Amino acid sequence: MDATLAIFRRNMLNFSRDRVRVAASLAMSLLFLFVFSFAMKSSVASQITQPMNYLICGVIIMTVFQQAFNNSTAILDDIANGFMKEILVAPIARREIAIGQVLSSSAIAVAQGLIVLIAGLFMGLNLDALHLLETIGIMLVSGLTFGSIGLFVATVAKGSSAFQILSAMLVMPLTFLSGAYIPTAAMPEFLQPVIYLNPLTYITSAFRFAAMHMEDLSQAQLVQEGVAYDIGGFILTPQLGLLVIVTIGLCFLALCVRKFDCADFSAVRTFRHHH
Amino acid sequence: MCERERRDDTVSESIIEVEHLTKRYGNATAVDDISFSVSEGSIFSFLGPNGAGKSTTINTLCTILDKTSGRLRVGGHDVDRERDLVRKDIGIVFQESTLDSKLTVEENLEFHCAFYGMPRRNMSESIDFVLDLVGLRDRRNDAVGSLSGGMRRRVEIARGLVHSPKVLFLDEPTAGLDPQTRANVWDYIGRLQQQRDITIFLTTHYMDEAEISSSVAIIDHGKIVASGTPDELKARFTKESLRVTANDTNDMTETLRDSGIRFDRDGYDFKIPVEGSEQAIDLLNKVREDIKCFEVTKGSLNDVFLAVTGREVRE
Repeated sequence: MDATLAIFRRNMLNFSRDRVRVAASLAMSLLFLFVFSFAMKSSVASQITQPMNYLICGVIIMTVFQQAFNNSTAILDDIANGFMKEILVAPIARREIAIGQVLSSSAIAVAQGLIVLIAGLFMGLNLDALHLLETIGIMLVSGLTFGSIGLFVATVAKGSSAFQILSAMLVMPLTFLSGAYIPTAAMPEFLQPVIYLNPLTYITSAFRFAAMHMEDLSQAQLVQEGVAYDIGGFILTPQLGLLVIVTIGLCFLALCVRKFDCADFSAVRTFRHHH
Repeated sequence: MCERERRDDTVSESIIEVEHLTKRYGNATAVDDISFSVSEGSIFSFLGPNGAGKSTTINTLCTILDKTSGRLRVGGHDVDRERDLVRKDIGIVFQESTLDSKLTVEENLEFHCAFYGMPRRNMSESIDFVLDLVGLRDRRNDAVGSLSGGMRRRVEIARGLVHSPKVLFLDEPTAGLDPQTRANVWDYIGRLQQQRDITIFLTTHYMDEAEISSSVAIIDHGKIVASGTPDELKARFTKESLRVTANDTNDMTETLRDSGIRFDRDGYDFKIPVEGSEQAIDLLNKVREDIKCFEVTKGSLNDVFLAVTGREVRE
């Protein structure tokens, strides 16, 4: 547990030194907020009652899952610059490394999400203490799940140069198809199966459900608001969606732990710098 | 503060035992059935050209590389079955940097202590000690990224020591450093040996740097081709030679030829292989009128390598 904490602290410290990265990710979020606010004001979102809050929520949760994923893949830098070796030869259980990485990825991602959330509060988002706790909880689930996915994918790839391009090619479209920016109802029919299979869809919905106080709405209204999905008559509620995300997250966390426990990290030597 | 109880009966015991270690990568055999042991408190050098299998051996001993076959023990612990016990007992300075360059020198050391489960109250004392040892106490708050290559290497040495390991592995500790920094690094290693009761296992392809070792194993193409103390190896594989600078090269050449003595000539310098100092005196008497100055030199580890493998160390 000490080692997990040490890895967590080290990653937090490292991140706090990386001001460019913090600023860039925030600028990105705010840019999306600005650009898509025009789309939300137009006809695209006609059935949604609070279009601006819908967008703000989407951008907040997008920030969390994208950053959690990215933070986890930063382990590739540790492999490339040798620091991973320092951790691997220490008397630390491998699983503690995995857990420390996932925890720090999510914590950083939640912190970044909170900054966007604060910006959102000035733009009309309205949260009382209870709802704030709920939204933070969902952000944490999002961070842990996508942090685990990111770590797993990164350790499988182990630093192939194609990895970054490939992950960008996947994360970007999946974010769009989650309804984070534009309601999924506005998307063409043939994309609907992808939308339903996309885990980002469910975390986005669950977050909106909590942040936009939708507890009292009926299932039909939830579908109308774009946070529940009518899949051939079966209503996939935000609560059920969150359960799906938690399950996926636990699976990937288990996979990461397993991967770290038995992976032959001797491949780390691939990154040796020859003098 | 980190002195371990030193019992006389354990001093000469082996702290590292390697039996029939083999490591293959696919069809390529990096290390081919090698056996050796290192006695506690000694400096052991693994010598050989790049690609001879030195790093592979170190990496298997350090628990980050799986072996193909063989038996390895460090500090009495089996490297396969008691990984974490082995890891606690060793410090490692890898060939390439493994520091976090965004963190300061002190932070790198602190996290290292945390990874090794060192209690917080002992940290600062240990960190002060090792930073003094490598002369970097005044740089403790500098980001590692801002340090020169030589300083980084010193930070790595300090970090490898801060948890008081029984064995310090140094994989090519001077590779890529300029000659002066290299000399400094060896100075630290020597001082370390004096101040701490520690075993040092190092690899290098600079043969002259291994002179400080208590014992040496020469590895080539994955096999140990010779081992012993530097003096033993030199005695076994090299000859002493007499170097003479001549006043008159023609006279000198003539005298040597007439006496049927083999020699190499380079300008005014003559190099004559001799069996020992006695023979050198006889020779000097024969040519004493023509001598400007002379010296008797012993073979170097480089000569040993040349004699054992039939070629110079590949760079």
